Amino acid sequence: MADSDTLTLTRQSTELDVPWNVIVHDDPVNLMGYVTMVLMKIFGYDEKRASKLMMEVHQLGRSVVWTGQRERAEMHTQQLQAHQLKASIEKSA
Amino acid sequence: MGALRIDAEGEADWHLLNMIITDAVSCDRGLADRLADAIDDRELADDWNEWVVPELEEGFEAELAFVKMTIETARQETSGGVGPLWVVPREAQRWYGALNQARMALEARYHFGPSDGVDFEKLPLEKRGAFMRSQFYCALQSAMLEHVMR
Repeated sequence: MADSDTLTLTRQSTELDVPWNVIVHDDPVNLMGYVTMVLMKIFGYDEKRASKLMMEVHQLGRSVVWTGQRERAEMHTQQLQAHQLKASIEKSA
Repeated sequence: MGALRIDAEGEADWHLLNMIITDAVSCDRGLADRLADAIDDRELADDWNEWVVPELEEGFEAELAFVKMTIETARQETSGGVGPLWVVPREAQRWYGALNQARMALEARYHFGPSDGVDFEKLPLEKRGAFMRSQFYCALQSAMLEHVMR
Protein backbone atom coordinates (compact mmCIF):
# COMPACT_ATOMS: atom_id res chain seq x y z
CA MET A 1 0.00 0.00 0.00
CA ALA A 2 2.75 2.39 0.95
CA ASP A 3 4.66 1.49 -2.22
CA SER A 4 1.62 2.22 -4.33
CA ASP A 5 1.24 5.66 -2.73
CA THR A 6 4.87 6.44 -3.43
CA LEU A 7 4.49 5.49 -7.09
CA THR A 8 1.44 7.72 -7.46
CA LEU A 9 3.26 10.68 -5.95
CA THR A 10 6.21 10.13 -8.27
CA ARG A 11 3.94 10.27 -11.33
CA GLN A 12 2.36 13.51 -10.11
CA SER A 13 5.76 15.04 -9.53
CA THR A 14 6.88 14.11 -13.04
CA GLU A 15 3.66 15.60 -14.42
CA LEU A 16 4.33 18.90 -12.66
CA ASP A 17 7.84 19.05 -14.09
CA VAL A 18 6.69 18.88 -17.73
CA PRO A 19 7.23 22.31 -19.27
CA TRP A 20 4.19 24.11 -20.67
CA ASN A 21 4.06 26.42 -23.66
CA VAL A 22 2.15 29.67 -23.74
CA ILE A 23 0.70 30.18 -27.21
CA VAL A 24 -0.58 33.37 -28.83
CA HIS A 25 -2.94 32.78 -31.77
CA ASP A 26 -3.56 35.11 -34.70
CA ASP A 27 -6.79 37.05 -34.87
CA PRO A 28 -8.04 39.73 -37.26
CA VAL A 29 -8.62 42.38 -34.57
CA ASN A 30 -5.50 42.94 -32.48
CA LEU A 31 -3.06 45.42 -34.02
CA MET A 32 0.50 44.24 -34.59
CA GLY A 33 1.98 47.12 -32.62
CA TYR A 34 -0.30 46.31 -29.70
CA VAL A 35 0.65 42.61 -29.68
CA THR A 36 4.34 43.60 -29.63
CA MET A 37 3.72 46.05 -26.79
CA VAL A 38 1.85 43.45 -24.71
CA LEU A 39 4.61 40.83 -25.16
CA MET A 40 7.18 43.40 -24.01
CA LYS A 41 5.08 44.35 -21.01
CA ILE A 42 4.18 40.85 -19.80
CA PHE A 43 7.43 38.98 -20.50
CA GLY A 44 9.92 41.84 -20.36
CA TYR A 45 11.13 41.06 -23.91
CA ASP A 46 12.99 43.73 -25.85
CA GLU A 47 11.24 45.16 -28.90
CA LYS A 48 13.22 43.05 -31.37
CA ARG A 49 12.27 39.75 -29.73
CA ALA A 50 8.66 40.78 -29.17
CA SER A 51 8.33 41.92 -32.82
CA LYS A 52 9.76 38.60 -34.04
CA LEU A 53 7.22 36.64 -31.99
CA MET A 54 4.41 38.92 -33.15
CA MET A 55 5.38 38.33 -36.80
CA GLU A 56 5.33 34.57 -36.15
CA VAL A 57 1.78 34.93 -34.85
CA HIS A 58 0.82 37.00 -37.89
CA GLN A 59 2.47 34.79 -40.51
CA LEU A 60 2.15 31.30 -39.02
CA GLY A 61 -1.10 31.73 -37.12
CA ARG A 62 0.45 31.03 -33.72
CA SER A 63 3.65 31.38 -31.76
CA VAL A 64 5.07 29.86 -28.59
CA VAL A 65 5.84 33.02 -26.65
CA TRP A 66 6.98 31.45 -23.37
CA THR A 67 7.81 28.00 -21.97
CA GLY A 68 8.12 26.98 -18.34
CA GLN A 69 6.36 25.81 -15.22
CA ARG A 70 2.62 25.22 -15.52
CA GLU A 71 1.52 27.64 -12.81
CA ARG A 72 3.41 30.51 -14.40
CA ALA A 73 2.23 29.50 -17.85
CA GLU A 74 -1.37 29.75 -16.63
CA MET A 75 -0.66 33.14 -15.08
CA HIS A 76 0.87 34.46 -18.31
CA THR A 77 -2.03 33.11 -20.36
CA GLN A 78 -4.45 34.91 -18.08
CA GLN A 79 -2.41 38.12 -18.43
CA LEU A 80 -2.48 37.81 -22.23
CA GLN A 81 -6.23 37.20 -22.25
CA ALA A 82 -6.70 40.18 -19.93
CA HIS A 83 -5.11 42.19 -22.75
CA GLN A 84 -7.61 40.52 -25.11
CA LEU A 85 -5.10 38.40 -26.97
CA LYS A 86 -6.20 34.91 -28.01
CA ALA A 87 -3.88 32.83 -25.85
CA SER A 88 -3.72 29.23 -24.66
CA ILE A 89 -1.35 26.79 -22.98
CA GLU A 90 -0.24 23.32 -23.95
CA LYS A 91 2.29 20.76 -22.75
CA SER A 92 5.63 21.24 -24.42
CA ALA A 93 6.45 18.39 -26.83
CA MET B 1 4.03 60.89 -24.87
CA GLY B 2 0.98 63.06 -25.38
CA ALA B 3 -2.76 62.84 -25.05
CA LEU B 4 -5.41 62.28 -27.69
CA ARG B 5 -8.19 64.85 -28.15
CA ILE B 6 -11.39 63.82 -29.87
CA ASP B 7 -13.47 66.80 -30.93
CA ALA B 8 -17.18 66.00 -30.94
CA GLU B 9 -19.19 68.36 -33.12
CA GLY B 10 -22.67 67.49 -31.91
CA GLU B 11 -25.11 64.87 -30.68
CA ALA B 12 -24.39 62.52 -33.61
CA ASP B 13 -20.73 62.35 -32.62
CA TRP B 14 -21.57 61.71 -28.95
CA HIS B 15 -23.91 58.97 -30.10
CA LEU B 16 -21.13 57.43 -32.19
CA LEU B 17 -18.79 57.49 -29.19
CA ASN B 18 -21.47 55.82 -27.06
CA MET B 19 -21.69 53.10 -29.69
CA ILE B 20 -18.29 51.86 -28.39
CA ILE B 21 -20.15 50.57 -25.32
CA THR B 22 -23.20 49.34 -27.26
CA ASP B 23 -21.00 47.42 -29.72
CA ALA B 24 -18.77 46.00 -26.97
CA VAL B 25 -21.74 44.29 -25.27
CA SER B 26 -23.54 43.33 -28.48
CA CYS B 27 -22.28 39.76 -28.62
CA ASP B 28 -24.38 37.07 -26.95
CA ARG B 29 -21.28 35.63 -25.23
CA GLY B 30 -18.92 37.64 -23.05
CA LEU B 31 -15.39 38.31 -24.31
CA ALA B 32 -13.67 36.33 -21.54
CA ASP B 33 -15.88 33.36 -22.39
CA ARG B 34 -14.98 33.63 -26.08
CA LEU B 35 -11.25 33.94 -25.31
CA ALA B 36 -11.49 30.77 -23.20
CA ASP B 37 -12.36 28.82 -26.37
CA ALA B 38 -8.61 28.81 -27.11
CA ILE B 39 -8.00 26.48 -24.14
CA ASP B 40 -8.18 22.98 -25.64
CA ASP B 41 -7.53 20.76 -22.63
CA ARG B 42 -10.97 19.78 -21.26
CA GLU B 43 -9.98 19.62 -17.60
CA LEU B 44 -8.07 22.87 -17.75
CA ALA B 45 -10.91 24.55 -19.67
CA ASP B 46 -13.35 23.66 -16.88
CA ASP B 47 -11.09 25.23 -14.26
CA TRP B 48 -10.50 28.22 -16.53
CA ASN B 49 -14.23 28.80 -16.94
CA GLU B 50 -14.78 28.54 -13.21
CA TRP B 51 -11.89 30.67 -11.93
CA VAL B 52 -10.41 32.85 -14.66
CA VAL B 53 -13.33 33.82 -16.90
CA PRO B 54 -15.33 35.63 -14.16
CA GLU B 55 -12.25 37.63 -13.12
CA LEU B 56 -11.45 38.62 -16.70
CA GLU B 57 -15.07 39.53 -17.37
CA GLU B 58 -15.03 41.79 -14.32
CA GLY B 59 -11.97 43.60 -15.68
CA PHE B 60 -13.56 44.04 -19.11
CA GLU B 61 -16.76 45.40 -17.56
CA ALA B 62 -14.71 47.89 -15.51
CA GLU B 63 -13.04 49.18 -18.70
CA LEU B 64 -16.42 49.76 -20.30
CA ALA B 65 -17.86 51.40 -17.18
CA PHE B 66 -14.94 53.83 -17.09
CA VAL B 67 -15.20 54.78 -20.76
CA LYS B 68 -18.99 55.11 -20.56
CA MET B 69 -18.67 57.46 -17.60
CA THR B 70 -15.93 59.53 -19.30
CA ILE B 71 -18.00 59.96 -22.47
CA GLU B 72 -21.13 60.85 -20.50
CA THR B 73 -19.27 63.41 -18.37
CA ALA B 74 -17.73 65.05 -21.44
CA ARG B 75 -21.09 65.06 -23.23
CA GLN B 76 -22.84 66.68 -20.26
CA GLU B 77 -20.17 69.39 -20.07
CA THR B 78 -20.99 70.37 -23.65
CA SER B 79 -24.75 69.68 -23.37
CA GLY B 80 -24.32 67.29 -26.26
CA GLY B 81 -22.77 69.99 -28.44
CA VAL B 82 -19.27 70.88 -29.59
CA GLY B 83 -16.51 69.87 -27.23
CA PRO B 84 -13.41 67.82 -26.60
CA LEU B 85 -12.93 64.38 -25.14
CA TRP B 86 -9.44 63.69 -23.84
CA VAL B 87 -7.64 60.37 -23.66
CA VAL B 88 -4.65 60.86 -21.38
CA PRO B 89 -1.81 58.33 -20.95
CA ARG B 90 -2.91 56.97 -17.56
CA GLU B 91 -6.36 56.18 -18.99
CA ALA B 92 -5.23 55.01 -22.44
CA GLN B 93 -5.10 51.28 -21.64
CA ARG B 94 -8.73 51.32 -20.51
CA TRP B 95 -9.76 53.25 -23.63
CA TYR B 96 -7.79 50.92 -25.87
CA GLY B 97 -9.35 47.92 -24.13
CA ALA B 98 -12.91 49.23 -24.52
CA LEU B 99 -12.35 49.94 -28.22
CA ASN B 100 -10.87 46.48 -28.61
CA GLN B 101 -13.88 44.92 -26.92
CA ALA B 102 -16.13 46.72 -29.38
CA ARG B 103 -14.08 45.51 -32.36
CA MET B 104 -13.86 41.95 -31.01
CA ALA B 105 -17.63 41.83 -30.56
CA LEU B 106 -18.26 43.21 -34.06
CA GLU B 107 -15.83 40.67 -35.49
CA ALA B 108 -17.59 37.85 -33.60
CA ARG B 109 -20.97 38.98 -34.96
CA TYR B 110 -20.07 39.88 -38.56
CA HIS B 111 -16.86 37.94 -39.32
CA PHE B 112 -15.20 40.73 -41.34
CA GLY B 113 -11.74 39.14 -41.28
CA PRO B 114 -8.73 41.26 -42.31
CA SER B 115 -10.04 44.71 -43.29
CA ASP B 116 -8.18 44.80 -46.64
CA GLY B 117 -10.23 41.78 -47.74
CA VAL B 118 -13.61 43.44 -47.14
CA ASP B 119 -15.57 44.60 -50.19
CA PHE B 120 -17.38 47.52 -48.58
CA GLU B 121 -19.80 48.11 -51.48
CA LYS B 122 -21.13 44.56 -51.28
CA LEU B 123 -21.91 44.66 -47.58
CA PRO B 124 -25.57 44.89 -46.48
CA LEU B 125 -26.46 48.19 -44.79
CA GLU B 126 -26.29 47.01 -41.17
CA LYS B 127 -22.98 45.25 -41.73
CA ARG B 128 -21.62 48.28 -43.57
CA GLY B 129 -22.36 50.52 -40.57
CA ALA B 130 -20.74 48.01 -38.24
CA PHE B 131 -17.66 47.83 -40.46
CA MET B 132 -17.33 51.64 -40.56
CA ARG B 133 -17.55 51.83 -36.76
CA SER B 134 -14.96 49.08 -36.46
CA GLN B 135 -12.64 51.03 -38.75
CA PHE B 136 -13.23 54.21 -36.73
CA TYR B 137 -12.41 52.39 -33.47
CA CYS B 138 -9.31 50.94 -35.13
CA ALA B 139 -8.16 54.42 -36.21
CA LEU B 140 -8.54 55.65 -32.62
CA GLN B 141 -6.54 52.66 -31.37
CA SER B 142 -3.77 53.30 -33.89
CA ALA B 143 -3.53 56.95 -32.86
CA MET B 144 -3.43 55.93 -29.19
CA LEU B 145 -0.71 53.37 -29.82
CA GLU B 146 1.42 55.86 -31.70
CA HIS B 147 0.93 58.97 -29.60
CA VAL B 148 -0.38 58.07 -26.14
CA MET B 149 0.69 54.56 -25.13
CA ARG B 150 4.36 54.49 -26.15
